[in-house]
Amino acid sequence: MEPMPNINVLSPWQPGVLALGIFAVMSLVLIVAFLFLASWLGEKKPNLEKLRPYECGIIPTGTARFPYPVAFYLTAAFFLIFDVEAAFIFSWAIAFDRLGWPGWLQISFFIAILMISLFYLWKKGGLEWDPTARRSPVSPETSSLPSSTG
Amino acid sequence: MAAVFTPRFDLARFGAEVLRGSPRQADLLIVAGTVFKKVAPVILRLYEQMAEPKWVISMGSCCNSGGMYDVYSVVQGLNQIIPVDVHVTGCPPRPEALEHALTILQKKILSEEKPARSILHLQGGTQGTTKPVLVDGESKSRDTRGPGMEGIPIRGTSVTPPLFWDSRSDLMWTPPPHRIELREGDKSLAQVLKEKFGDAIRQTPETSDMPTYHVAEFRFKEVLKFLKTEASPKYPRLDDLTAIDESARRDRKPIPNYDGTVANEISQNGESHRPDKGIYPDYTLVYHLLSFDPPGRLRLKVGLTGKDPATRTITDLWPSASWYERETYEMFGIRFEGHPDLRRLILPHDWEGYPLRKSYPGRATEMAPYTRASAVEHQPLDAGAFVKQREGGQDLLVLNMGPQHVGTHGVMRFIVALDGEKIADINLDIGYHHRGVEKIGERQSWHQFIPYTDRVDYMGGVANNLSYLQSVETLAGIEVPMRAQFVRVMLSEFFRINNHLVWFGTCCHDVGAMTPTFYTFREREQLMDIVELITGGRLHPSWFRIGGLAMDLPEGWKEAVDAFVKVLRERIRDYEALITKNPIFKARTRGVGVLSLKDAMEWGVTGPNLRACGLEWDVRKKFPYSGYENFNFEIPTATGGDCYARYLVRVEEIRQSLRIIEQAASQMPGGRVITDDYRYAVPDKKDTLKDIESLIHHFINVTRGPKIPRGEAYTATEISRGEQGYYVVSDGLNMAYRMRIRAPGFANVQVMPLMAKDGLLSDLLAIIGSIDYILPDIDR
Repeated sequence: MEPMPNINVLSPWQPGVLALGIFAVMSLVLIVAFLFLASWLGEKKPNLEKLRPYECGIIPTGTARFPYPVAFYLTAAFFLIFDVEAAFIFSWAIAFDRLGWPGWLQISFFIAILMISLFYLWKKGGLEWDPTARRSPVSPETSSLPSSTG
Repeated sequence: MAAVFTPRFDLARFGAEVLRGSPRQADLLIVAGTVFKKVAPVILRLYEQMAEPKWVISMGSCCNSGGMYDVYSVVQGLNQIIPVDVHVTGCPPRPEALEHALTILQKKILSEEKPARSILHLQGGTQGTTKPVLVDGESKSRDTRGPGMEGIPIRGTSVTPPLFWDSRSDLMWTPPPHRIELREGDKSLAQVLKEKFGDAIRQTPETSDMPTYHVAEFRFKEVLKFLKTEASPKYPRLDDLTAIDESARRDRKPIPNYDGTVANEISQNGESHRPDKGIYPDYTLVYHLLSFDPPGRLRLKVGLTGKDPATRTITDLWPSASWYERETYEMFGIRFEGHPDLRRLILPHDWEGYPLRKSYPGRATEMAPYTRASAVEHQPLDAGAFVKQREGGQDLLVLNMGPQHVGTHGVMRFIVALDGEKIADINLDIGYHHRGVEKIGERQSWHQFIPYTDRVDYMGGVANNLSYLQSVETLAGIEVPMRAQFVRVMLSEFFRINNHLVWFGTCCHDVGAMTPTFYTFREREQLMDIVELITGGRLHPSWFRIGGLAMDLPEGWKEAVDAFVKVLRERIRDYEALITKNPIFKARTRGVGVLSLKDAMEWGVTGPNLRACGLEWDVRKKFPYSGYENFNFEIPTATGGDCYARYLVRVEEIRQSLRIIEQAASQMPGGRVITDDYRYAVPDKKDTLKDIESLIHHFINVTRGPKIPRGEAYTATEISRGEQGYYVVSDGLNMAYRMRIRAPGFANVQVMPLMAKDGLLSDLLAIIGSIDYILPDIDR
């Protein structure tokens, strides 16, 4: 892609040390005030039960810290990939008028590749949440009800 | 409780609306319903996990004090475990009462507590009540009659088991129990059984309800197998399995089939556990079987001797026997050899004793006090004991869903082992709502027990009365007048609609549709108004009586009924327009939780859940009772056995119930509403003012209660969830000797792992919603 023609899209750099200083101090004061108020007002009546995870009133069994199944990671990875690629499309969308037809062609090519990969994923079952345990086949149309005469 | 959130009562007006899914975000704990010893540790934990400030409302008589459930499994008051700010009386409290309690609590906080003072580090101010918890037996009187009565025995103890030393029922005469003539098919089956099993089986010559056989223990399994697989007709369903402790029988004459030839034959086989001839069994196992075509029932009784007797399991014949045998084991101490998982099912795992033995105390006040320390000590069994871990591979996530969970429709515990979101294994822990109603049935008179039946399926109201009364009336041969029968049918159908309306709202809610709840509860309030107009009560009217009804219909009932039928018929169309073709609802329910017809029949699944598997089976048609044969209606069925099919069946059932109500209202016969045979019934008050005989019957029947002749009867009715059967055994006294409830929910829920396993966790919620169970019906 071409370099951005207009630098003035972003606001110009104007150093203002005083403003920055006031901002920093205010932030600090606020943070300290919040922390203090929270700890002073917050009632602390700790007991063993409050530290325990809530599991419908039963003492939990085992740990929840073990390897998660691959399906969760796959979903996360796909999300990440498509999310990053969407960022490219946004950057094109901001400047589509200046990029003109060449830009449109380039992004169309890019989107087409994305679509192909999406369909590939779909076909491979990557979007199935739990491909191994699909529900039993959908029941035949349940319509043998007597006509509602009532 | 649920009703206060819905349009008519609208709790939001009082500044409390949002229900929290976890105690971490809540500042008010409303404990509604009975506090059981099994669930008390859970309540205590929830309270302790709540962040300060926190308040507690105890809702309902049972929660306040144990209420009418002074029974071994119930804590006699929530304030024995956690401090309570406001008590709401009533059983059940009306929705207005809870709203009132909420405003009382708000006033109390405003005027007395000043809860912010401690937050601002000021002196004074409290958060929640400062009263210490009461200790049963120390800081509170354990006597249900109040303090100062310790020396006087509880009224009625002299006539209740196991003593009976002062029963005056023996002075009363009754005709013999009702006898039936067996059908041809039953007679020929008896002949076949006689030829095949010889002296090991003996038919009871006279019976009140169904063919009954005594079988020697060493051959009963063969007989059961024969009846299930080869007999004509076949009996594929185990309707019920239970036991009777015979030790308190007053007449222990040896039963003929346990002596002589049978005992000899057993000893020749070398398998006899019974050296005595002519004995009376210490326990009797009772198996109720059902044949679908033609519809019929059959009872097998197996006598057992010994203090802790053992017999063989039939879980290899009927997998559904698993829970029944576990229940019989924990209630009677009868061991079933070969049972794969013989441990306590309903009571806590560390419970001691066998409550349905006659020697076991029935009342909580006769037992050791239940204190806060008990609630800390008796923790529910660890979830790891319920599910299998995968061998070798990765660990599964073991998760408790319930007992305190918004999706489980009551205090029930699902233990799931999750592989990702897939349910790799699932098990159920029930009994958090066990009220020992079967034990109570052995000490309340035949009339006094009626209010307890209302509370078994608390959405079923008077339909429960009918199930119970029908068994008693069958046993004693009581004729119910036509008008009473019609009213009984009409009200039972009202309660079926009541249940289905609540189900419609909650089932849709479970899969994410919130709106239907508000619509269906609107119509439900209209229905409740009619119930209140007729009976004076809302949920638990206890309005049926032995031989009829408590009173006649009031003025203006017909207009109200007609208006309701008209309104609801239109409104169902609205409901269906919202849900039936809703793509989200279909995606969540179709093909989910599939149950095959064969499984449903063998596991004893009944009601709409069975009909959704494609079988046209309804007790109202197959064993017509209370005049159902006079009504035109259809049995809705669907195929597929999935959640969607169950939905379709129930919606159509609302329509069919409306048809029945309409017919009952338009053809309502005149005449009496209670039988004129006053031996068993509470006589009409007008008659007692005219003749001395009615007056005497009135006096006797409302005080010590009628005597029901010695015998037994099992009948079932089709309540909204399926077949609810009462097996009543009388020893010729003014109370039952054994009161067994065959609950539809028990069988319907036992089969749930078959539906949920290998599905997703989110599907489990849809399955729970579509099964439509209710906890007191499962746990009793």
